[in-house]
Amino acid sequence: MSDILFNVGYGHFLVLAALLFLIGTAGVLIRRNALIILMSVELMLNAANMTLLTFSRMWGDISGHTFALIVIAVAAAEAAVGLAIVVAVFRGRRNVDVDRLTTLRH
Amino acid sequence: MRVLLLILTMLLTLGAVDAFAPSLAIADPIPAQAVNKPTRVNITKRSPHSDKIESKDTGMALLFWGFAAATLGGALFVVTRRNLIAAVMGMVGCFLGISAVYMMLYASFLSVIQMLVYAGAIMVLFVFVVMILNRPEDEPVAPTGRAGQAIGGLAIVYLVGRLIFMLMKVQPPNPLTAVQAPAPIELPGDILNTTEKVDWGSVKAVGWDLFGPGLFVFEAISILLLIAVVGAIAVARPLHEDQNNAGEPRDIPRDEAATNAEAAHSGGHA
Repeated sequence: MSDILFNVGYGHFLVLAALLFLIGTAGVLIRRNALIILMSVELMLNAANMTLLTFSRMWGDISGHTFALIVIAVAAAEAAVGLAIVVAVFRGRRNVDVDRLTTLRH
Repeated sequence: MRVLLLILTMLLTLGAVDAFAPSLAIADPIPAQAVNKPTRVNITKRSPHSDKIESKDTGMALLFWGFAAATLGGALFVVTRRNLIAAVMGMVGCFLGISAVYMMLYASFLSVIQMLVYAGAIMVLFVFVVMILNRPEDEPVAPTGRAGQAIGGLAIVYLVGRLIFMLMKVQPPNPLTAVQAPAPIELPGDILNTTEKVDWGSVKAVGWDLFGPGLFVFEAISILLLIAVVGAIAVARPLHEDQNNAGEPRDIPRDEAATNAEAAHSGGHA
């Protein structure tokens, strides 16, 4: 028990990233506000980044850092486009509830 | 006695020259050896701030638990809060915790980038959109029946268990643990065929990999960011026939306004 508590290893970082990813998944699945869903997607991307950095450190290969940097850039692009879509949807129908965006279904 | 002292001094001088030979060889602009035969001279430049702190004590473990708690608490705050500003603030706390965890993984450059890009830029963007929306949420969580909640809860518990049991069994390929200082990596240096040791995760190490093997991906990412910026402006630009913007002055030319009206008429209902 004290080994788990006081000897922090790679597994701790991986489990932390897994829990972060799970919280992000739960946010995407249960929330209805499009903004919260976007933020949860950002959480999932950050969890993936943490896993990349941990494995990069584990194998002694610096390319994981490059990959994480690229993931951050993609996340920034995704946030910009996603927020633009949220603003456009809000301008048209005055709410951003994803359960009510059913125009394309009919 | 005096002869002995002279010999000792000569030996010490030779030793000092031997010890400083790498730096002397670097100071020499063109070594004669490199001109004649282009073999690799094994000269190693140390970085001036070599990272030698091995932190496997209890304090570092407690710091890890603290930052992990901040990360998970911030993430839970994002998912559970009804107030959007509170969710954004929880997100900032989560990102600061993630940044500290990156620092514990010796990814110093990525840690600073995380703080600048996420906790700075992206969160400002989110706060901006929250202020534009300015509307409380009616019913935050999608309504499901008791059976749906039970199935979802069981699925989440199963997923958590499988992930944790899988990840705890990960065997590192080297016996170092993650909180020990990583070995500096050797980069090929300048034209003198030298190698240079830089810290793990420093700007130089990441930049060498980013602009060396990852150069194409870097260029592709810059094109992607350009497309994203143009697309965001194109999507979020207000349509000028919207009745909410009727009072705004129109300073666009007539033919462009006609094109906009046509686009709004055809695509406004989608």
